[in-house]
Amino acid sequence: MRARKTVKLRLYVANSAPNSARAIANLAAICKEHLQFSFKLEIVDVLKFPLRALADGILVTPHLAKLSPSPAAKIVGDLSNRSSVLLALGVKP
Amino acid sequence: MSVARALRLVTGGPERRAIEAGEVDAVIDPANGRVLLLPEAKRALSSTGGEAANRLLAALPRQDYQRLLAELELVALAYGEVLYEPGERIRHVYFPNDAIVSLLTVVQDKALEVGLVGREGMAGISLALGAERAQERALVQGTGSALRMKAASFHEALEHCVPLRRELHRYAYTKLIEARQTAACTRFHGVEERLARWLLMTHDRVRADRLQFTHEFLADMLGVRRAGVTRAASALQRLRVIDYRRGDIRILDRKGLEAAACVCYGVVKALAR
Repeated sequence: MRARKTVKLRLYVANSAPNSARAIANLAAICKEHLQFSFKLEIVDVLKFPLRALADGILVTPHLAKLSPSPAAKIVGDLSNRSSVLLALGVKP
Repeated sequence: MSVARALRLVTGGPERRAIEAGEVDAVIDPANGRVLLLPEAKRALSSTGGEAANRLLAALPRQDYQRLLAELELVALAYGEVLYEPGERIRHVYFPNDAIVSLLTVVQDKALEVGLVGREGMAGISLALGAERAQERALVQGTGSALRMKAASFHEALEHCVPLRRELHRYAYTKLIEARQTAACTRFHGVEERLARWLLMTHDRVRADRLQFTHEFLADMLGVRRAGVTRAASALQRLRVIDYRRGDIRILDRKGLEAAACVCYGVVKALAR
């Protein structure tokens, strides 16, 4: 496997609400398959930290933010469309 | 907060499209940072302490359910995940909330779906009948959450909780009938009727009109060639009961789909509560 930069991700969710739970499961599967260990994921529950979501300019959950490497990207929804998630993450399917 | 109000708050961009597609749980009001839950999320989150989303668990007396909760763990199941392979020891049983699991009988390198498990049931029912190992492959075909319990705790619960035992015996019986009916259905009914039946069964287990499956996946589930699925899906599309493009299926007319399905759908449905 060729070396690549660690992908930093942040996923904003509403606790275990259905779309949020689906987004976590979909993202976990994608990271496991395509990023192996080269990613860092932080999950922010906006029900616990609403001001953080506001400060980060988040309008809806689930919302996945790719923080680095650049370009930054975001994708909203339950992350069921694998190819658009991979595109946002900059990973070749 | 209603979907209409959410759309007033979020006027454009991918956020709005996600709300329209039903993929959003909460909207954060940019004016004050208040988190507003959409109806389905509100229902799901408020029910975790009260009634169970899974129908088998919801059918139990409240006290029994509360006692079981201590042994149940909320897990996310992702599309494509395999819970059991034939011959494997069953380590956990799963009570889906909104996840869907296909049960597949594997013969050499081929697999055919013989049962579907959603919020009306559980995966790992053979443990309740005394078999410690899985006979079928259990494959997650709809991402979602489930409550799971360790096999040892499950055995203990079965011993002490009579209502659980009764529910599971009834459920095991419906699974037996479903498998028998599927065997006859696969032999006697056409792909179009079977596809309609399969879509109805899936629709019963998710609370959305939009389903995502590729031709390849559907072909595997029904045990037919891809071309057969294409023809059947086109026929259902011509009847205007579904809309199908690139793996995205929308159910447009549920009654029409029921009319297009074989009698097997009604037979199995009548047994389930």
